[in-house]
Amino acid sequence: MDDNNKKSPLKLPQNSIKYARVIAALLLLALLILRGVNVAREAQLGSDTWLRLSVSGLVIGSMYALIAIGYTLVYGILFMINFAHGEVMMIGSFGGYFIFELFNTIPTTAADGSQSTFLNTSPVLAILIAFIVGMIIAAVAGYYLERIAYRPLRGAPRLVPLISAIGASIFLQNAGQLLFGPQRRQYINPTVLERGIGWNIELGGSQVVITYTGIFTLILSAILMVILFLLVQRTKLGRAMRAVAQDKQTAALMGIDVDQIISRTFVISGALAGAAGVMWGIHNGLFNYFVGFIPGIKAFTAAVLGGIGNIPGAMVGGFFLGIIESIGPAILGIDFQLKDVIAFTILILVLIFRPSGILGEALTEEKL
Amino acid sequence: MNKESLRKSVSSALVVGIIIIFLALIDFHVVLAGMIQKLFGKQLYSGRLPDAGFFLVFLGLIGIWNGWRAARLDQQENKSLFQCIACSAAAGLTTGLVVAVYAVIVGSIDAQGTDLRVYLSLLSSDSIQFFLFQQPVFIGGLIHLGFGTLLAAAGGFMAALYYRNQDQLKERLSSVKSWYQERILNKVQSVPYINYILLGIMVLLLGIMPQVWGSYWNYVMGTVGIYVLLGLGLNIIVGLSGQLVLGYVAFFAIGAYTFALTTAPEPHNLVVNFWVAILASIILAAISGILVGLPILRLRGDYLAIVTLGFGEIIRILLRSDLLKDFTMGPRGVRDIAGPTLFGREFSSSADFMYLIIIAVILSIFFAKRLQESSVGRAWLSISQDETVAQATGVDTYKYKLLALALGASLAGLGGALFASRNQFTGPEDHALMVSINVLCLVIVGGMGSIPGVILGSFALKGLPEILREMENYRMLVFGALLVVMMIILPEGLWPASRPKLEIDVGKESESPQVGAGGES
Repeated sequence: MDDNNKKSPLKLPQNSIKYARVIAALLLLALLILRGVNVAREAQLGSDTWLRLSVSGLVIGSMYALIAIGYTLVYGILFMINFAHGEVMMIGSFGGYFIFELFNTIPTTAADGSQSTFLNTSPVLAILIAFIVGMIIAAVAGYYLERIAYRPLRGAPRLVPLISAIGASIFLQNAGQLLFGPQRRQYINPTVLERGIGWNIELGGSQVVITYTGIFTLILSAILMVILFLLVQRTKLGRAMRAVAQDKQTAALMGIDVDQIISRTFVISGALAGAAGVMWGIHNGLFNYFVGFIPGIKAFTAAVLGGIGNIPGAMVGGFFLGIIESIGPAILGIDFQLKDVIAFTILILVLIFRPSGILGEALTEEKL
Repeated sequence: MNKESLRKSVSSALVVGIIIIFLALIDFHVVLAGMIQKLFGKQLYSGRLPDAGFFLVFLGLIGIWNGWRAARLDQQENKSLFQCIACSAAAGLTTGLVVAVYAVIVGSIDAQGTDLRVYLSLLSSDSIQFFLFQQPVFIGGLIHLGFGTLLAAAGGFMAALYYRNQDQLKERLSSVKSWYQERILNKVQSVPYINYILLGIMVLLLGIMPQVWGSYWNYVMGTVGIYVLLGLGLNIIVGLSGQLVLGYVAFFAIGAYTFALTTAPEPHNLVVNFWVAILASIILAAISGILVGLPILRLRGDYLAIVTLGFGEIIRILLRSDLLKDFTMGPRGVRDIAGPTLFGREFSSSADFMYLIIIAVILSIFFAKRLQESSVGRAWLSISQDETVAQATGVDTYKYKLLALALGASLAGLGGALFASRNQFTGPEDHALMVSINVLCLVIVGGMGSIPGVILGSFALKGLPEILREMENYRMLVFGALLVVMMIILPEGLWPASRPKLEIDVGKESESPQVGAGGES
């Protein structure tokens, strides 16, 4: 090997590269900040725009966070990227959609005697049922996904379950397309939760609309996250999950049914993704079979950003990514279609500086 | 009668029932029945439904499978013939019941005149009628119930008979196998020039086929060839050096766009010679590989995967953005990309291009094979098996990883250039994430680190969907399902790498896999 090293023109002094990398990254960061300060000083955008962008970033981020938790839970236990997680979200989205459609066809009489539908006379119940059904369907999908596509591969080399997950993702996407058609569908919201309506805030001489759907999404996802956090930290199931994530063999010796815990992890992450899917439909309106793919990738990015395997990290990463995506282009004064470029660039920068993510612990060799 | 085995049969039958309902919901049963009809040699006119009888054949096959499965669910138990049939009949009854209930519900909704296609896009009235064998709702349901039970019982009977006589059958099979081994395989292998003969046949085939195939098959096989190039490149990165890269498409895009921008009249009107442009694409892709690798190769595993995935997406988004519109034509893509020329003569017919791809593939295989067996290849192997140990034994891991990325990227650049030149067009959508995923899938389906595996994998992944054209809308669905099944049945790939085997039993002939690989391409 020594001989080779001498001959090879590719012999690189490692330390100097390391420093060069850090310096390059620092320079890049400084440039970005400078650019941001400049654009902000020029004040092309009023404070109303900033508020609007940050709120929309928070809303999108909350959905990313919910999906990212699913990635992180599964990764923490199985060390695999559940590539089909976005498709689980898509399934939840369809579940909620059909419930709303169904309720919209049940005729009832409203309080003032006019003809209406069940969806509008008791919206709280309708929304609750839509979420419950969406979450249950997605949870069942997650459960069977694990049973069929991942469980037989326990103990295989790490790329094998990844390919299986990609196959499952392709399958579910195409099944969705064949079942429900390629066209985009629109969620019918109850009138109290109409899209685009919300509180008007006077700011800097112009109106900022904080939509009810956005607030609703934000609050509900926060509630779900708190429930999940309590579940993982306070319950027996949560303790078992953490034990399995730490060491499967030892957990099994302590009397934990590892397979069952893994199944339940998939159920929980599926339910969260399903909730995110219904929220996506309520907030954005249009969706189709492809709805889960891009959010899935973004949420995985968010999970890595926050430190994969770490639940608070996934939450922070989700919100961080949502906000970056939303206000990043404005800060840098570039086209909004480049928001994904900013998101991924930030990801690369974070990983270069801090490979374990924002909140990630230093992972052991085995986990990496 | 064992309650437990009955319960198992019923739950397995439920799954079968759900599968049948799923197939019916996506209108797949019509396609499958049509394929069976064609298999029986009867013409199927487009736009016409196949005969209901062939749907019965399909249902019968599923019923037999269902019964067979139910009969042998608990293998260790020795069941009597009667018990087997009872289990299977119970399974058949369950499946039949589930399917019949579905058929009755859907049939009666359809009979009311409601158009279900608003919600389930392929559930047309014709499809539902076909599912009910063109009979009234309840008769159709009863047929499903009765037929399913009957065939499942038959399946159980067959399974019971099979397991009765299992040993005898196995004996016969092994005797056939050993006869084949003795009489044919050994004789063929004892001919001294067999490798050269096979090689000759292969060269002859490769020489003749592009002329005979016609342009459609040249197109398909050209795509396969380009994917072999990509697969060889990614195989170096993922299979040999063990770095999981998910943004491989970025290098493909860089190759394709370098070629496009240097040869197309718009937007820059450089019109460089074909060969110079190819070389430029390869070199630029390799340089970009190094530049990307410099900061990120310190990362391992899934972090590397997600960073490279992000890099691939960045390239694609930049290509289609307005920011670079003047430079890369934005979402419209680059048109009129030059075809190959040789000494001033154009040879861009589909057959000629096929030859070009074949030559490129053969050269790359040679290149990859030599690399794999050199000391560089061994360094990669050590890195992929345990990076820490490799470093401790004196392998400059950073350098070799960078080298792997550069070489893999250069092959992607070559593939991209050929792709752009053949299509005479390249746009941002040619370089979506799906390309990376397809290439990764073909490397792993073929067998990581195995060059024949890459070739086999490209045929399976790029050729198979073309062959499955019959099923049009369903091929990606089938493809996804096949990927999962394949990983469960054959996780080490279609053609596992020979390296570990080679090291275990030293002295065995190492040449045979290579020739076999040639036979496949």
